[in-house]
Amino acid sequence: MKMLGAARISLLLVALVSSPKCLLAQTPSTPPTSTAAPVVIPKPITDADLANVPVPSADTRAQGDRNGSLTGNAGDITVSDSKKGLTIGDLANQVGQNKIALNIVWTLITGYLVMFMQLGFALLETGLARAKNANHTMMMNLVVYGVGMFAYWLCGFAIQMGGVGAIANLGGTPALNAEHVIHLFGKDFGIFGQHGFFLMHKGTYDVGIMVLFLFQMVFMDTGATIPTGAAIERWKFSSFVVTSFFFAAFTYPLFANWAWGGGWLANLGVNFGLGKGYVDFAGSGVVHTVGGVSALAIAMILGPRIGKFTRDGRPQAILAHDMVIVITGCLILAFGWFGFNPGSTLGASGSGNLRIGSIAVNTMLASAAGLLSAMLYMWMVYGKPDVSMTGNGFLAGLVAITAPCAFVNPVSAVVIGLIAGILVCISVAFVERNLQVDDPVGAISVHGSCGIWGVVSVGLFADGTSNYGGSWNGVNGSVTGLFYGDATQLLAQLMGVATLLGVVFILSFCFGTLVDLLMGQRAPAKSELEGLDLPEMGSLAYPEFELKSGN
Amino acid sequence: MKIVGVLVAILGFIVSFASLALSSTGGRFAVVIVGLAISLFGILGILNSAHLKHSIWKTGANEE
Repeated sequence: MKMLGAARISLLLVALVSSPKCLLAQTPSTPPTSTAAPVVIPKPITDADLANVPVPSADTRAQGDRNGSLTGNAGDITVSDSKKGLTIGDLANQVGQNKIALNIVWTLITGYLVMFMQLGFALLETGLARAKNANHTMMMNLVVYGVGMFAYWLCGFAIQMGGVGAIANLGGTPALNAEHVIHLFGKDFGIFGQHGFFLMHKGTYDVGIMVLFLFQMVFMDTGATIPTGAAIERWKFSSFVVTSFFFAAFTYPLFANWAWGGGWLANLGVNFGLGKGYVDFAGSGVVHTVGGVSALAIAMILGPRIGKFTRDGRPQAILAHDMVIVITGCLILAFGWFGFNPGSTLGASGSGNLRIGSIAVNTMLASAAGLLSAMLYMWMVYGKPDVSMTGNGFLAGLVAITAPCAFVNPVSAVVIGLIAGILVCISVAFVERNLQVDDPVGAISVHGSCGIWGVVSVGLFADGTSNYGGSWNGVNGSVTGLFYGDATQLLAQLMGVATLLGVVFILSFCFGTLVDLLMGQRAPAKSELEGLDLPEMGSLAYPEFELKSGN
Repeated sequence: MKIVGVLVAILGFIVSFASLALSSTGGRFAVVIVGLAISLFGILGILNSAHLKHSIWKTGANEE
């Protein structure tokens, strides 16, 4: 009786999807031949059939469901009219809600994973700082979460996504439909969104939009925490708070709107025939390069730590205080990346979203390739497989694959990761020796240089096999790079890079300079020498440790 | 010099952006790459050099 109920439901569902009315457009229709067996067309199911579907009795359920065959049955489907009982309409609504529920749960859980990356950043940066700055570094990584979220809730989300339109994967609420546009070259250029302030404005108090906010907020916060890595051990805390607020409220949302919110970069394909427009699946450019170029701006404004360079400009090693938490942080970040990249489908069901498996594997492969190439490069060039640079290579591979992960094959993912691992080693040396910019954790190289490489690699390696609903950025077809026949996609990607350097960097630099003029960005030299924990935070991270070291 | 660096970086973006007015893909590539080079020169060549002139390690405050 129990099994009969479940089997009956299964048969009905098979009949429903195979009935003539429900045939999909892609289903090939082959006319029956005279020699073939007669085709039996199932009778369309009716509400009457559904009314006869047995469900386990209350007495049966009262005994518990030890083998899991009773839980979840026709009785669990919400009926719109109890007098009519279960109808085909109810069944169809339940299928639709299940699809959106899958997507919402997927997006929320992957968003939680991305939030967990904050811990990875905190450990990585704190481990690479000296012990006397550990409290200050941890505090920056904690506070950037709250400050960033608050700014993003106030206006950042609205600027970024206020004109994106309906997100079909999350239920398709059309409330985010007001993009401010300007007209140039006879085309519309989307500049910023206008709906969604405080998550209450213009119908944006909506379940799907809440999910979108959570997911986009943790992405923004990942970007906001990148500059802290380049500025540790000398950034005045109050100035850090103000600068981070601006980043979350304006700098990040503006570029994110142009790339993801229906802005002008996304529409380069529709308006100018450049591939599918600027394509950045999970944010090599939007998150990492925006964070990386902002890190460069802040590091330039702050200047190097006392003792980093000799008077003749030679860099000096300032040793990290805890490599154990550095590597722990790297591994936590890699774990969180499984939310970052696969989660960016914003769904697990429909519209080609099952490619999440490919996205996750590409993410793993690129991280391994980056780790290996960085380790081997350091081993060959400097004689030892440097621990922190191997960790940076690991992250470099992840940063680089973030934009192309949804559009490339596994071999390309490995190539992208291998190049990123070597690029980060060269970039770290260039930033320190040639630019004489002090970047204690390598944030500029990991997120800036490798982020740009990730953006460019979409235009090279996208293989044209992905199909997320048949189009991308409003252009029909799959994203295809130069090596697979579309040079214009690379052009769109280079336009994105030009914007990151010529607009995003400048925004960060100008605001950082304004804060510097008004309140000073750098902590006093006395505090820096003492360590920022006590002067800025009022407490030490390791009081006993300090006593033992005799300070 | 800092202002010059900022302006040159913005100029690089404007040059890249102007490539959208062209019709040939090759021409657009050339102009975008020139724009990128100008922006990089503005940031790394001019702006960073201006900051390094007053860097802390060139003064007496660099002794820990």
